[in-house]
Amino acid sequence: MAHTPGIELFKLPKKRPVPGRFRNALGKYRVTVSNACTNCGLCLELCPYGVYKGGVKRPRVAQDHHCLGFSCSKNTFYCVNRCPEKAIQIKLNPSFEILGDRRWPPELLASTWHMAETGELPYQDLNYKTGNSGGGFDKIRFIFPKKKVHSVPESKISTAIELNRSGDSRPRITIPVPFYFGGMSFGSVSIVTMLSRVRAAAALKTFCCTGEGGYPEELIPYDNHIITQVATGLFGVKEETIKRVRIVEFKYAQGAKPGLGGHLLGDKVTPRVAKMREAVTGSALFSPFPFHSVYSVEDHKKHVDWIKEINTRALVSVKVSTPTDVDMVTVGSYFAGAHIVQLDGSYGGTGAAPDIAKKNIAMPIEYALPKVHKFLCQEGIRDKITIIASGGIRSAYDMAKALAMGADGVCLGTADLVALECIRCHHCESGRGCARGIATTDEELTNLMNLEWATQRIINMYLVWRRQLVSILKRLGMSSVTELTGRFDVIAHLDYIKQEDVEGELDL
Amino acid sequence: MKEKNQADAIINARYHLREAERLVKQTGIEAEEGGCGVTGFACNIPVSGRHIFEPSVQMHNRGNGKGGGLAAVGLIPAKLGVDQETLDTAFLLQVALLDETVLLEMETRFIRPFFLVAHEAFIETVDDYRDISGLEVKPPAVKRYFVRVKPEVLVHFRKERGLEALPDYKVEEEFIYQNTYQLNLALYSALGEKRAFVLSHGRNMMILKIVGYAEQVAQYYKLDNFDAHIWIAHQRYPTKGRVWHPGGAHPFIGLDEALVHNGDFANYYSVSEYLKQRNVYPLFLTDTEVSVQVFDLLNRVYGYPLEYIIEALAPTGEMDFDHLPEEKQRIYRQIQAAHIHGSPDGPWFFIIARTDVQKKQYQLIGITDTAMLRPQVFALQKGDVEIGLICSEKQAIDATLASLAKEDPRFGTIADQYWNARGGSYTDGGAFIFTVKESEPGKMDLTCTDKFGRVIDVPSEQEHLDFRVALPPMPTGHVDHLRSIVRDLSKRNVEGLFSSLKESFAKWDYARFNTFLDLLTALAEEDDLKGPVIGLLARLLDRRYSLGNKRRRSILQMVSNTLNAIFLTIPMINDTGVIMYGRRIDWESRHALRGPLENEKVLIADAGGFPPEGDDSFAQLISNAYRLGWKRFTCFGHRGQRFLGCSFGSDSQGVRIDAYDSTGDYLASGIDGLEIYVHGNAQDQLGQILKSGKLVVYGDVGQTFMYGAKGGEVYVLGNAAGRPLINAVGKPRVVINGTALDFLAESFMAGDPYNGGGFVILNGLTFDQNGAVVPLEIPYPGSNLFSLASGGALFVRDPHKTIVPEQLNGGEIFPFTEIDWELITPYLKENERLFGITIDDILTVDGIKRNPEEVYRTIGAVKLSVLSGGNALAMNEEWTGEE
Repeated sequence: MAHTPGIELFKLPKKRPVPGRFRNALGKYRVTVSNACTNCGLCLELCPYGVYKGGVKRPRVAQDHHCLGFSCSKNTFYCVNRCPEKAIQIKLNPSFEILGDRRWPPELLASTWHMAETGELPYQDLNYKTGNSGGGFDKIRFIFPKKKVHSVPESKISTAIELNRSGDSRPRITIPVPFYFGGMSFGSVSIVTMLSRVRAAAALKTFCCTGEGGYPEELIPYDNHIITQVATGLFGVKEETIKRVRIVEFKYAQGAKPGLGGHLLGDKVTPRVAKMREAVTGSALFSPFPFHSVYSVEDHKKHVDWIKEINTRALVSVKVSTPTDVDMVTVGSYFAGAHIVQLDGSYGGTGAAPDIAKKNIAMPIEYALPKVHKFLCQEGIRDKITIIASGGIRSAYDMAKALAMGADGVCLGTADLVALECIRCHHCESGRGCARGIATTDEELTNLMNLEWATQRIINMYLVWRRQLVSILKRLGMSSVTELTGRFDVIAHLDYIKQEDVEGELDL
Repeated sequence: MKEKNQADAIINARYHLREAERLVKQTGIEAEEGGCGVTGFACNIPVSGRHIFEPSVQMHNRGNGKGGGLAAVGLIPAKLGVDQETLDTAFLLQVALLDETVLLEMETRFIRPFFLVAHEAFIETVDDYRDISGLEVKPPAVKRYFVRVKPEVLVHFRKERGLEALPDYKVEEEFIYQNTYQLNLALYSALGEKRAFVLSHGRNMMILKIVGYAEQVAQYYKLDNFDAHIWIAHQRYPTKGRVWHPGGAHPFIGLDEALVHNGDFANYYSVSEYLKQRNVYPLFLTDTEVSVQVFDLLNRVYGYPLEYIIEALAPTGEMDFDHLPEEKQRIYRQIQAAHIHGSPDGPWFFIIARTDVQKKQYQLIGITDTAMLRPQVFALQKGDVEIGLICSEKQAIDATLASLAKEDPRFGTIADQYWNARGGSYTDGGAFIFTVKESEPGKMDLTCTDKFGRVIDVPSEQEHLDFRVALPPMPTGHVDHLRSIVRDLSKRNVEGLFSSLKESFAKWDYARFNTFLDLLTALAEEDDLKGPVIGLLARLLDRRYSLGNKRRRSILQMVSNTLNAIFLTIPMINDTGVIMYGRRIDWESRHALRGPLENEKVLIADAGGFPPEGDDSFAQLISNAYRLGWKRFTCFGHRGQRFLGCSFGSDSQGVRIDAYDSTGDYLASGIDGLEIYVHGNAQDQLGQILKSGKLVVYGDVGQTFMYGAKGGEVYVLGNAAGRPLINAVGKPRVVINGTALDFLAESFMAGDPYNGGGFVILNGLTFDQNGAVVPLEIPYPGSNLFSLASGGALFVRDPHKTIVPEQLNGGEIFPFTEIDWELITPYLKENERLFGITIDDILTVDGIKRNPEEVYRTIGAVKLSVLSGGNALAMNEEWTGEE
């Protein structure tokens, strides 16, 4: 695929350190200083990671989440050994272990927080590549060539993708990173969360979807980086908002809960949320599962035609979950005039999606992607449509694997929230939401988070992701991310391959 | 008992066909799916296949040119080279040869050994398929045979298959069925190499299908001069497979029936299993094939009457079931128990054309699913000729009628009646049947019945106008009188003149009416009278009034023609000269679009030539014209052009669009300020996300009317189809004078109706044949009303208290109060102004004027715990009053 001219002009936003909001950040290790301490200050001098801050009686362990842990013991600056009073102890943090879940184990959470805070890969012994689910992305590994490949300088590696490949008269839209941010409605998350994602998208010259809860005025300055969603409840959908954007997304289903529409329980429907959706305060809002006007592919085409009529320059994205015939759904969407098809696999969804649906209905994205990719190739239309994968993309490695399995790009959601210090407690829907002020509509809780802070956290994390992607491409000898799409040969599933059979280096 | 033995015998006789399952599985193909556009008509005289073009061209946007097909039933023997006797009794076997070299093998294996062939021939085609524009794949060569099974073959077959219990004709039918099955299995389906398949084998019917659009079938096989009583056509929209085969196109066959299908049902595998248990195995693997297999099973194997077949396909449910007579309940319960697994679940709409050999009649049947998830319109026209039509879209019906009328003026361009079926209902059963049968030698009649056999007819005492005959000139005195009346237009307001004339129309004959229209046409030549004349003519279209012994459709056709003629006198946008009234634009002149000059008020836009959607759409032209400064639009000549009024953006107050003829889907969707008046019936998906402004429909509206609407003031003279106002929020204020099929205002969330929120007034009224307002039998027959609603209100005219709590799930019936009356009165007044339905009409019950409290009932939202998230709601009390 040819380089998109002008893409090199894209200037990455700068990373900036953004410390956590809470006094005691959660880390893998817990550092304690005992009464034996004489406050000599040696540990403060020694620790290059700033774990300690000066205190009146003894140093304060201010940031033990920055501690290297036991692996520091080989270093000359290992405070535990060097402390003249042997007052310092490092232990595994018992709270850490109970964080998260199998898909988002504590190390993945902590490494994501680290990236969001520092804009750097974690130096601690944290696994930032995979989770612990025992399957799918967590069992898939890259195979890097052993021999040195013709190497492209990192600065020359393009991570840009084209969103309109149809060849129609609508604008071509290139995004410099192969990802954008998925729909989370105003109501499901706070206005600060929403805005921070949008602003991060704007800084990265990519897009962020509004979700199905209207188009708050605060978003207007970022119109060019917004995908507005037309979902089954049609909440907040107006001609004016459709006209405003460059991409309109139809949400047919979410991989986390196919067969269910969006839902927002009554408690989160505050007056402002209700006003935005023009519904009744305090009453839960259930979007129907299907579009009541779409029960077949020609209805779908008509639906797409309608939006195209309202906005004659917008691209149309169709978000579907992954039923067994997802390949046919994709082809149908293409023929109905979609530019982008977003395949939403079964792992996604925040805490609001019911567990029974989240884990049991749709097809995992790792199955859906190759199925769709191959089928589109057979049909001869693979290069006419942009396939975006979503539903459980947690890391740069997940992203790269999704591309190798046939996606052109990915769509992200939960990772953003983790960057904002979500601890994956799964209570997004209950009461007025989130104790961390992310997925809430409560005014007081919303104020827990500052917009600048949140924006930069998200930017920081994705800057690291992009760097990781570039380094993967470099190791594979690729000069553009578009070369990675559908390269089943550069990945392997640990359960189905013997290491000795691999011609290359299996990236464990 | 005899029927049961026969059914068992036939099922057992197919035991060996299970081999097909293994063969088909080996090929590893899966069921295909896709949407479609369907159309069909039945006529008491045979008409050319050309007329099926018009609707199918209209419905290109419902197909993708990957599969089209036609079926014709009730044919002309001479055209086929046989006599009537042969046509009636022989099986008309049509075999498509995808690979022409297979002919000898096919005939040796499947024709010669078994059949007495009365006549055989290749179907004539155009010389080169590439002469037909857009046709990319060569359609198959088709050979036609008129066959009867050799008596000795039948004897052997009966014995071998254990069919002793069956009468001869049934054995022969079964032989035809099985022979076709074997042919398809051997030459089409199982081996994967698709060489030949049977298109049709029924009596007095034939099917043709290709990879392409339906009308290309008619063109390629030269059906221009091929006449039949019933035609059905299908545009397929398959989504799978790079190489398409005509075998996958509709119609599919049972024995003497052809079925086209719009939809995609969810339980294909369940239905397939049900069929397999009865030794029926699909070969073409589409849901359409299994649909017709179920139909054939119920019809020919089980011997069910049509009503029971329809019940098995679309079972009566919920409240509708309770409304059935007890005896029917007993039978239906058994049908449902036995056949529920064979009942297609999900969105589907079937059109079936068949020859009923035993009763010597032809039938066109339309059946909708119980949730009415696919669009469907029925129409009936009677007069010198009689025709019944079934289509996905009303505009396709009008296109067929226009095409027929152009060739034969005995057809009118407007049907006497248009209606929707209510799926699985006790009212009509969700199905209508048009039957063509010889009533006396040489004379065929068309009757329309619903599932239960109730006849749908036109008022017989009202005479239609024969447009072939010139109307006699009026005596000068009468003309002068009329002239003085129309002259009044310059002095009086249009409404006043209409009101004063309204009573007279009943007494006028066609000639006088015609003269009246001529005088109006002449008057419209004066620039400042164009507006009033058009206004008066629009009222003649829009309002209901007594026409005495004249047929309303004839009057509508005359008025419509007059209006169109007047529109066509308006100078084009690129003509020179100063014009006071407005300018006309059409497809050819679209590039000349410019803003209005000083005096130009109205843009008269001819939608006819525009594609229904896309960058060159009519809707786009109108919104572009708006951006150039036009504020008044008269749009006519619609043939289903979609999205009218869309794309204007916010704050389009002060804009008015008047739309005539067959407007399209999604009209007025998203409008925010402007006003649209639809002079006639409207189609599906009107007023989606409608924000503000006004929509007036002088007729019925289709499916999912005002889905997700946020506001607006909306008046509908007639009925709404399924799911109106679903998920509507904000403050829509809607008057529906008729009723809705079902699911009205589901998930309605339109705030507090007494405090700026939204509501729907449902009047449950209709008009009798004299144009007088009369109540419907019940105002709302559906089983679901206001389900899961959390805001807004419904005000239902229900003086006999027919709405019951069982219909509501989330709503509650409250007493209708004075406050309610105050709230709705302004809307009823506007309703009166627009439609002539007076508040007195509404408050009159059985001839006695009542108080509003006795006539209306209020349905409001109750807090459901499922909608409020349980007990936690108490915490949020501080919210109340904040809005």
